[in-house]
Amino acid sequence: MTEQAKEEWGTRLGVILAVAGSAVGLGNFLRFPGQAAANGGGAFMIPYFCALLVLGIPIGWAEWTMGRYGGRKGFHSAPAIMGVIGKGRVARYLGIIGVLIPLGVSFYYVFIEAWCLGYCWQYVEAMFGGTGLGIDTSASVDEQTKASSAFFGEFTGQSANGVIFEQFGETALFWLAVISVNVFFVFRGLSKGIEKFCSLAMPAMAICAAIVLIRVLTLPANPDAPDQTVANGLGFMWNPDFTALAKPQTWMAAAGQIFFSLSVGFGVIINYASYLKKKDDVVLSGLTASATNEVFEVGFGGMITLTASFVFLGLSGTIGAVAGGSFGLGFTTLPVVFAHMPLGNLIGALWFFMLFLAAITSSLSMYQPTLAFVQEALGTNRVKSTMLVTLLGVVGSSWVVWFSAGSVALGTIDDWVGTFLIVVLAAIQVILFGWVFGIEHGRKEAHTGAQLHIPPVVWFIIKYVAPLYLLITIGRFVWETLPTWIDGLAANPVARNTVILIGVVIAILCALVFLGEKRWRALGMDVDGDYPPYDEAPPVTPASTPPADASKRA
Amino acid sequence: MTTSGIVFMILSLTFVWGLAFWCFRKVLTAPKD
Repeated sequence: MTEQAKEEWGTRLGVILAVAGSAVGLGNFLRFPGQAAANGGGAFMIPYFCALLVLGIPIGWAEWTMGRYGGRKGFHSAPAIMGVIGKGRVARYLGIIGVLIPLGVSFYYVFIEAWCLGYCWQYVEAMFGGTGLGIDTSASVDEQTKASSAFFGEFTGQSANGVIFEQFGETALFWLAVISVNVFFVFRGLSKGIEKFCSLAMPAMAICAAIVLIRVLTLPANPDAPDQTVANGLGFMWNPDFTALAKPQTWMAAAGQIFFSLSVGFGVIINYASYLKKKDDVVLSGLTASATNEVFEVGFGGMITLTASFVFLGLSGTIGAVAGGSFGLGFTTLPVVFAHMPLGNLIGALWFFMLFLAAITSSLSMYQPTLAFVQEALGTNRVKSTMLVTLLGVVGSSWVVWFSAGSVALGTIDDWVGTFLIVVLAAIQVILFGWVFGIEHGRKEAHTGAQLHIPPVVWFIIKYVAPLYLLITIGRFVWETLPTWIDGLAANPVARNTVILIGVVIAILCALVFLGEKRWRALGMDVDGDYPPYDEAPPVTPASTPPADASKRA
Repeated sequence: MTTSGIVFMILSLTFVWGLAFWCFRKVLTAPKD
């Protein structure tokens, strides 16, 4: 027996904020503006909102529905729930991806989280006379960018593998601190830990973002370059280039941004929704969580980052910042911007604290699915399960921290697990939901307790459009990108060994599914989804009646 | 910033903030079981 059945959300708002917290991450503030600016500016919002409405929200609803249905059967992990939805062993083993993604991504995400906390600390120190990031504002912008880049390289161990542990400086301490905080809140449980933290962290994040936004929007024009105004900075992000709409890559980029931003296909929503009760709404809750994510992405991310960069660095500097990717923009360019900004240390501290909150609400959601799976598969209590998940998390994250040079281990896991497998899992989930579980069954299940009615066209999208889009995306990846990635593995031993590490994790998860299935069958649980949930009246025929209260026993 | 840029920005912000306010209003005013 386990304590799984006792876990549940305290409030409806709590679960919405927890799911939204999982979705809101660094990508909202750093990736989105770069994608928009590079793909048509304001015109990018047309394919972006189309993708939100026809892809992100419908797939999200499917995940919420599957999760709650699995929870009613007494299951909380992706392998077990997908076994029920997909009615068999193949779907159950494919469900391992739903644990591998959050666990694998957590390996590097807590490291990035430590950078955010570390940068925040540098700004707090600078407010009280510390040296901060060591950017000399009297030097040329190039020199300042070099100084900022050098700090980032040193802080994140870009120079050599093992340097972070060998020196055991601030980075290692912040890394240990964020792992401890994550373990603490996950151990406290769903309601007292994750829900409580997200209920405080999400409003705090919004307040920090609002203060930074007000500061950025009230910046005076750059005295050295009168054209570098807030209005022109907003124009860099929002002025539409309608020719971009004719390019297929703009539409793919918009769909990709929505997809990764909403955390669909991540293995988190299915786990979080499994703790809902039969009559709990999933339709409005899913929509609200997505809408919250959009406020942080468009309302804050789309207004702050590039505008601030434009005012201080101008057009060429901002184009260079966008080309530098999310890390370049967030950890190299923005510190230069903050160095020039009135109240820059305070704004820098708030900005990185906000990124830290965005990261920790996401990383908490990465540990919980793994914890639920371990607990469910082995029948261990929360203490033992937390210890096992902590061990897995620390070993995996230590690998990323040790092989820090060039962020090779981080990049490899991000590519294979945090990018490719997300699309694969979403495709599997949406196909199982639309074609095995059945659209009619899914429609009835989603509308149980729902406060909103899902338009009929959404079911057409879930059955045909979403799988087609995802399969095309996977096909394009396999054709265009996969060969390059495989060549990259052959050329780089660290990348190759990191993929082997991912393989070891998959082997461990397979073993857990094997043990779990034996245990669930021994408990008489409906492992293959043959019967209605226990809280539904079963068919009266004796042959199809499940063992009494079987699914309650988990 | 061009006029069309202003229009796209205002429409986008109105949509995301409006959707979020509408959703939260419905969630918070829903009758409790």
